[in-house]
Amino acid sequence: MSILEYNGAAMIAMAGKDCVGIAADRRLGIQAQTVSTDFTKVFKMNDTIHVGLGGLATDVQTLHNILKFRMGLYELREEREMTPQVFSHLLSTLLYEKRFGPYFVEPIVAGLDAKTNKPFLSSMDLIGAPVQTKDFVVSGTCTGNLYGMCETLYKPDLEPDALFETLAQALLASVDRDALSGWGGVVHIITKDGVTTRELKGRQD
Amino acid sequence: MARRYDSSTTTFSPEGRLHQVEYAIEAINNAGTCVGILARDGIVMASERRITSGLLAPAKTSEKTYKLCPHAACNVAGLTADANILIDQARLRAGRYHYQYQEPIPVEQLVEHVCNYKQSYTQYGGLRPFGVAFLFAGYDEKHGFQLYQSDPSGNYSGWKATVIGANNQAGKSLLKSEYGSSSAEMADEGEETSPDVAGALRLAVKVLNKTMDGTAAAAEKMELFTMTLDESSEVVHHILTQKEAQEVIDQVEAETASAGDS
Repeated sequence: MSILEYNGAAMIAMAGKDCVGIAADRRLGIQAQTVSTDFTKVFKMNDTIHVGLGGLATDVQTLHNILKFRMGLYELREEREMTPQVFSHLLSTLLYEKRFGPYFVEPIVAGLDAKTNKPFLSSMDLIGAPVQTKDFVVSGTCTGNLYGMCETLYKPDLEPDALFETLAQALLASVDRDALSGWGGVVHIITKDGVTTRELKGRQD
Repeated sequence: MARRYDSSTTTFSPEGRLHQVEYAIEAINNAGTCVGILARDGIVMASERRITSGLLAPAKTSEKTYKLCPHAACNVAGLTADANILIDQARLRAGRYHYQYQEPIPVEQLVEHVCNYKQSYTQYGGLRPFGVAFLFAGYDEKHGFQLYQSDPSGNYSGWKATVIGANNQAGKSLLKSEYGSSSAEMADEGEETSPDVAGALRLAVKVLNKTMDGTAAAAEKMELFTMTLDESSEVVHHILTQKEAQEVIDQVEAETASAGDS
């Protein structure tokens, strides 16, 4: 048994034309037993940053609260909003501080640079090793499936509505072959005009 | 006589005084004035902006008003360097409380935390006290809007209206006669009622005019801050723009001019 697979998760973040999308499943399980079908794993940190936290559920919630705390302090001291790049770096250093007793979470960050409106995507392992990409990032218990679906369906410069379709199909197809993720999904599409959130209904198993 | 008992913070004098704490309070009486007024629907904090040199780069941020958390802010009178330490303490405390309880920290608890920290510098360690006085403005669900004042000794109390910094006695005496006593605010039995934020702003400007007397009232010389609730019951922190501040100053000028005629 791997601790990172105890609760189950699947998430993708993808870049489009001046927009980003981030999607995750809704399952919370205790190994094989499903406990909740509306567990939130993607969190809005501010108007331009969303973070997806996949892994051990207690660490997902704790890390979210820690990030809110740290973001709040940053905004009070610096009197400005955090940018996606800064947030990603904060998350990376936060995780590495626990190098020998880590949070069992492998996060993905999706954001829009406030000035240029260019998409920002990053993902990291549980001890904060970051990777930045231009196309998509994935995390969870079925990353093999997720990578395969994204690699097949992804096209650069998709408009928000097309990005939504691509994200939704990639997520839904990937979780079907994974016992630990699924039971519905959420997709957030972030543009300079705001965030659109849609729920997905897939196989409820 | 005080000489022998005033160099250590942690020593009482024979008269039972802590001279270092008293000297710290003196330091604040030379600082820019801050007025705080509790209104029915919010809080007003107004401060004197002291420009000590024309060569100083224009401030990018306020050096008087600081946000401590979404529902609390403070005004500073005294040594800014000392204040920065305490403000950070307050911000951390508010953040940690929220992290632990997933609830906003009650305003009095936040004030008490900062004050306990200040107090420890009057009893332990042989370090000097903080030369700062604060006006804390905050809102919580249980007690609504609250205004607190604290000083270097770590003592604090809640106020309906108060002044700290230079000429605070003159300011306080003006508040004593004017707070809650304008005809628009009097209840039937002549009890004192609190003003609304607009009224509090005008009163605050009046107080600053008195404490800053000698210098003409001007929008660049004052910083006006309000704390209110918006339609969704979220706390709004607002530092008035030059234009908005000038409007209040003009209203006060018109009021005093017409009062003089009648």
